[in-house]
Amino acid sequence: MISIVVFPGSNCDRDLKVAIEKTLKKKVDMVWHKTAHIKKSDMIFVPGGFSFGDHLRAGILATKSPAMKEVERLSKKGVPIIGICNGFQILTECKLLPGILIKNTNPKFLCKSIDLKVDNNSIFTSSFKNNQIIKLPIAHSQGNYFADKKVLNSLEDNNQVILRYCSPKGQINNNFNPNGSMNNIAGIINSSKNVFGLMPHPERAIDLTKQADGILFFKSLNMYL
Amino acid sequence: MKYRVYVFFKNGILDPEAEAIKKTLHTSGFRKIKSLTKGKFFDIDTSGKNSKDEISSLSEKILSNPIIENFKIKKIDN
Repeated sequence: MISIVVFPGSNCDRDLKVAIEKTLKKKVDMVWHKTAHIKKSDMIFVPGGFSFGDHLRAGILATKSPAMKEVERLSKKGVPIIGICNGFQILTECKLLPGILIKNTNPKFLCKSIDLKVDNNSIFTSSFKNNQIIKLPIAHSQGNYFADKKVLNSLEDNNQVILRYCSPKGQINNNFNPNGSMNNIAGIINSSKNVFGLMPHPERAIDLTKQADGILFFKSLNMYL
Repeated sequence: MKYRVYVFFKNGILDPEAEAIKKTLHTSGFRKIKSLTKGKFFDIDTSGKNSKDEISSLSEKILSNPIIENFKIKKIDN
């Protein structure tokens, strides 16, 4: 069983359900945020959207939901947790992942496909080649990853940055940084390596006739399950 | 007891909204403005003992994110 936590304002939950059912052939349980007990899950997703209207700060209000308390508890037991976009913001606000996502340097809402470089050294990315360059959609106005120097250094030293914005040829620099994220960070894992947060949307890239790089994410998860 | 909690970015945290406001002020003729920061405030009416501690705790845990923001609490009269 795979669970997706749904908040008022989530809008990628259904896409995620379809992507999981298509690629993993697993049953999906949609967990309303008021649920105080999450059934035995092999994996939990926190989807994208605008939980609680992004009021106060993106993600903060969702962290107080009973279902998120369950996610925190289960993450400590080693259950893999994946937060996409607003889900990533929620995971940083409840401190399952370090740092925070602030407004894009150019405060526009970005909605486009973008090149990313993948570190395959995680259960979430093991189906990719190391340093593979892929294309995934992004859709956010608060995706600018920020952390203090100490946290940033420890992320780099422990190989916790597993997705970075890059050029089509894989160069990582400011010219290919859409939102101002430190070190071009697009996705990180926690130090126990069972919690993953990313701004791009793999669930929107599973169409073999168009964009399909998201499929490899789900394939990685399949190897784990 | 009423308190006003101010939440504002720490020094050095880029605030593109404040930058955009500053630019607009400049183009509207207010060219002497050197810098501008913005923040938010919350008026909270509470009762009971240790209410200041309670306000401080909720400001730190929920109203602000200490990675990027500071807060200040001021007691206010009605």
